[in-house]
Amino acid sequence: MGNAYAENAPFMKRQTELVSRLNQKYLQGGLSEGRKLEFDKLNEPIIWVRDGKDLITLIKMLQHDDACMLDYLSSLTAYDNKDKVDGLKRFVVVYNLFSTTKHVRLRIKLAVDLEESAPTLTTIWPAANWLEREVWDMFGIKFDGHPNLRRIMMDERFTGHPLRKEYPIKQREPFADNIPFHLGPNPLPKSEKL
Amino acid sequence: MSKDGSAFAYPMVLAEAAKWARKNSLWPMPFGTSCCGIEMMAVLGSHYDLSRFGAEVVRFSPRQADLLLVAGTITTKMAPVLRTIYDQMLEPKWVIAMGACSSSGGIFDTYSVLQGIDEIMPVDVYVPGCPPIPEGVIHAVIHLQNIIDGNIDRVPAEKPTHEDAMNAMLYRKPMTKDIASSWRVTQQGIVPGTRKE
Repeated sequence: MGNAYAENAPFMKRQTELVSRLNQKYLQGGLSEGRKLEFDKLNEPIIWVRDGKDLITLIKMLQHDDACMLDYLSSLTAYDNKDKVDGLKRFVVVYNLFSTTKHVRLRIKLAVDLEESAPTLTTIWPAANWLEREVWDMFGIKFDGHPNLRRIMMDERFTGHPLRKEYPIKQREPFADNIPFHLGPNPLPKSEKL
Repeated sequence: MSKDGSAFAYPMVLAEAAKWARKNSLWPMPFGTSCCGIEMMAVLGSHYDLSRFGAEVVRFSPRQADLLLVAGTITTKMAPVLRTIYDQMLEPKWVIAMGACSSSGGIFDTYSVLQGIDEIMPVDVYVPGCPPIPEGVIHAVIHLQNIIDGNIDRVPAEKPTHEDAMNAMLYRKPMTKDIASSWRVTQQGIVPGTRKE
């Protein structure tokens, strides 16, 4: 591990600078109330945001901050928090951000309950479109303002969300035919949507 | 055929010739969806060289192929596509299920994976392995040639029933009356029967 850290010394230095910047600007004061900073086992910073509105504000600020410039969405995923390890809410949506100029990484987590929905990031990054559709498909988390929120991996006639903990893992739904391939914002009739 | 239309060869000889031609020019339609597909490329490549058995002319059009070589995991969403390709192939046609995934679903006993392609189409030869070694695929092709030749009966592939599967897992002879009285196969598994000694 020592060698790995030595090789990554410049990166670790950048990450430390990022964390101090976050501490100064984004984790203190009235606006940032409810945000929480924590570190994983590899000492990577994670910010827990208060709610969906706070997420959008924070991301827009981080995007244009001179020291961070977090302008790239590496990945967007979620996990089921049924055992209540990370708070009381049912799901956690995870946003991995990267800066193409400063080369730093930051993870942002948003807790979402069963009946709640997360805000869409398609207005900021169009690439979030398919990733949010995948999260909807697998976990059933709704994204407010998403232009085309329908299943992306499973068949559109599939019922249930397979990565939820309560889903029986061997429950299959084979269909004898494929739905016709179609692209576009909303090709399905309104009655079949969601 | 001679010029006036009369046959100079007996039909029997023609049938043998057709068999010989078919078994030595199996044109495979590759359906590689995962790591088995890589191994299949190795089989077709110059090192293992499937062309020694006349099956190197890979056709990516089902209309021109005789042999459907399914190599890889087939998801439930892919299943109708695969079935369409099978239906598009012209008779006579044969199917090889290469690897654990296409034979039985393999390790992917999950919500999205078809548990063996024999749920949707008849299979002639199954190749075990994850992925199978190239020699295994070559063996399957030679076995298929024997089937085409008529040395081995072409057995319609049927999904084993629950009882068959339980018998296979018992590592002993198929259930005779004697064994059946000592063990009972139910939906819950194998339970001790009521044999009176």
